[in-house]
Amino acid sequence: MPDPKTLLENKPGKRALLLGNEAIARGILEAGIGVVTTYPGTPASEIGDAVSAIAREAGVYMEYSVNEIVAVEVAGGAANCGVRALSAMKHVGLNVAADALTTLAYVGVRGGMVVVAADDPECYSSQNEQDSRFYAWFSNIPCLEPSNPQEAKDMVAYAVEISEKLELPVILRTTTRVSHTRAPVVFGKLVKPNLKGEFVRDAKRLVMVPANSRPRHDVLLQKMEKAREMAEASPYNLIARRGKNREYGVISSSSAYNYTMEAIELLGLDADILKLGMTHPLPERMIGQFLREHDKVIVVEELEPYLELHVKAIAKDQAPETEVYGKIGRQYFPRSGELSPRRVLEGLSAITGRKAPVNFENLDKRYAEVVRELPPRPPVLCPGCPHRASFYVIRKVAGEKAVYPTDIGCYALGYAPPLNVGDILICMGSGVGTAQGISKATEAPTIAIIGDSTFFHAGVPRLLNAIYNKHRIVVAVLDNMTTAMTGHQPHPGTGLTGMQTATEPIAIEKVAEGCGVKLVKVVNPFNFKEAENTLKEALDFPETSLIVFRAPCALLLLREKRRKGLEIVPLKVSGKCTNCLACIKLLGCPAITLTENKTVAINENLCLGCGLCAYICPYKAIEPAKQCRGGNA
Amino acid sequence: MKAFNMVLAGVGGQGILLAAEILGTAAIKERLDVRVSEVHGMAQRGGAVVSMVRIGENVLSPLVLDGNADVILGFEPMETLRNAKYASEKTLIIMGDERISPPALTLRGESYPRIDEILEKLKRFSKNVIMVEALRLAKEAGSSLVQNVVLLGALIATGKTPIKKESLVEALKELVPAKYLDINMKAFELGYQYVKNLGS
Repeated sequence: MPDPKTLLENKPGKRALLLGNEAIARGILEAGIGVVTTYPGTPASEIGDAVSAIAREAGVYMEYSVNEIVAVEVAGGAANCGVRALSAMKHVGLNVAADALTTLAYVGVRGGMVVVAADDPECYSSQNEQDSRFYAWFSNIPCLEPSNPQEAKDMVAYAVEISEKLELPVILRTTTRVSHTRAPVVFGKLVKPNLKGEFVRDAKRLVMVPANSRPRHDVLLQKMEKAREMAEASPYNLIARRGKNREYGVISSSSAYNYTMEAIELLGLDADILKLGMTHPLPERMIGQFLREHDKVIVVEELEPYLELHVKAIAKDQAPETEVYGKIGRQYFPRSGELSPRRVLEGLSAITGRKAPVNFENLDKRYAEVVRELPPRPPVLCPGCPHRASFYVIRKVAGEKAVYPTDIGCYALGYAPPLNVGDILICMGSGVGTAQGISKATEAPTIAIIGDSTFFHAGVPRLLNAIYNKHRIVVAVLDNMTTAMTGHQPHPGTGLTGMQTATEPIAIEKVAEGCGVKLVKVVNPFNFKEAENTLKEALDFPETSLIVFRAPCALLLLREKRRKGLEIVPLKVSGKCTNCLACIKLLGCPAITLTENKTVAINENLCLGCGLCAYICPYKAIEPAKQCRGGNA
Repeated sequence: MKAFNMVLAGVGGQGILLAAEILGTAAIKERLDVRVSEVHGMAQRGGAVVSMVRIGENVLSPLVLDGNADVILGFEPMETLRNAKYASEKTLIIMGDERISPPALTLRGESYPRIDEILEKLKRFSKNVIMVEALRLAKEAGSSLVQNVVLLGALIATGKTPIKKESLVEALKELVPAKYLDINMKAFELGYQYVKNLGS
């Protein structure tokens, strides 16, 4: 990432290569936003990280909130005092925030408020693919869809403008290929944030009891009519390309627009393109006009047929003769997975009968031949990861008959062989929740796996439920002292804030004790014997118990060692090795491999010397590659 | 100018995203338009990583169409092969030699395939393959971690990209921590000379 200070430069016209999320951070500074809240989640994480790095200098308040609903409430509170606010999250974070957001639409805002929802088509780092545009639709909240980093930046200020005119929060919906694309971004002027607001008492508007909510619902619907007029006039809803004879009309948005523009050139199609940047509410007159101008209209969009549903409804009223192609009925574009240049090209090719410039069939055949035997390479726990030690201990003590509900974070990777700890995973916190039902239904030993950041985010109410209802489960908090998966953001256990100032850390064990857990233990998973004995004790305990397996994330440890110039001593396999393969079969560490002669070897470039394989080796054939300082003999 | 398409492929942790950002930064130093696609989060944890860099006047998509890569820059042999679908017979494939066994393979009790097998399969897509001893050269520069910059040196030395050496070096200076700049500069030169010497 470039020096975050780049984002602070008040140089309108400067061109910098920014990640979409960094561009949004710059947009925050150009929109005079004073309060930024987030809970990290791919593909949204770098928005908060970029703001956190510069917040103090920019005069912005930034926090990593404990979860997304709190993030939206903090931002919504500030925005109701007239301070501009932004809250950023991944798509599933919007589910967590939805309870607040849907009714915040009734309440409205006074200062502009933007909610960034970053969708993850293809589930690169998520438990589902969902299309956040439907939240905008059913919550009656305007939705903007940028197609590149420049638009992502510019749309922040635009969203604030709309938000203040309508007194409504606005959703800025990105996808992986917007948030995680790096492109040149031209800076605008910085706008000094205003952090001083005023709370004006106005119960009819702010207190959503039924008598007040009913009229506010009508107010909201009126606001949406006003918003629809804004969509008709929006500079982001435009004809992006004109063909000669208007043979085809194409409607597209977001990253799909990029693939569409290029595919049309490659296919040599004579097509007009209507590019939609404000997609809720939709500009119905503009779309109606576009439909009437074309006999055939193709809708190209990622994930759900959100635009297509609306375009078809508009066509029924305004252009019944026009044929609309997309993914409803005959499916020209996939509804699951990510779009790609190829998928768009093939869909357009199938609709128009134009031949693709690449012989995909031939390419696929040759490719299938070479990759048939290529083993997959899914993500794995890093070498030296403390979770591997925890999982080894858990599996060794509780074995096959125990059930292991797991949760969202790096440790979800423990489900895979050979660790095999992770039996059900739904959403943030669900491990502790589902564990209670499983334990009730089966009476099997049930160990709920949850990470430290996830514990604070969603674990606590589930834990209370377990204690109060006397569910006999073991909650295993795999505490690596950071929010690792998303890039090592702080959480309430770390003692650091989004403003990068120190604060009092909250200890998970104290929270558990305070909630009423009667057996609470903290162990280092690399103290193998102690960890095993502690887990045995917890499994014997007749009520809810909680063990914190605490050791720092291996990546953080590695970085710290490099920074301090400390030596990393990898392990090596000695002559005592009998090639029993226990280390490989039990641990699945990426640093342990087989040589061409099928003997065990340790990759010295990957091994951190955590010692787990040395501990489990039945022949004590794994030792440090060189004498440790202070070691004997 | 027609878009110039590069696919960078390897394993999470090999510095692929940094290499892509260096290429993108060098491109905008030459006033070219550019799109770089990245992969973050879970996908990075030792998994297969692909980043694409597209340079040109009218680039919009950050992703490369199958069969349309001008360059595949492979950081790891198996991952280079996994991305062969982006190659045509005109594609230049530059590949580093650090072999990282996928745990799935080791668990099956198998060792890493022979490098000549991988090369043979790659050549079914393009004969234009350059193997770079990236691991050895990186260690010579001072750290196995700078294989990414060795490979950038090799790439620029081919003269096939629209990026000049000076722009790349400038981008490198901007993006690499000052403390490690010497090692990186050395790595770049070693990769550069490696390919220059192949030509002679």
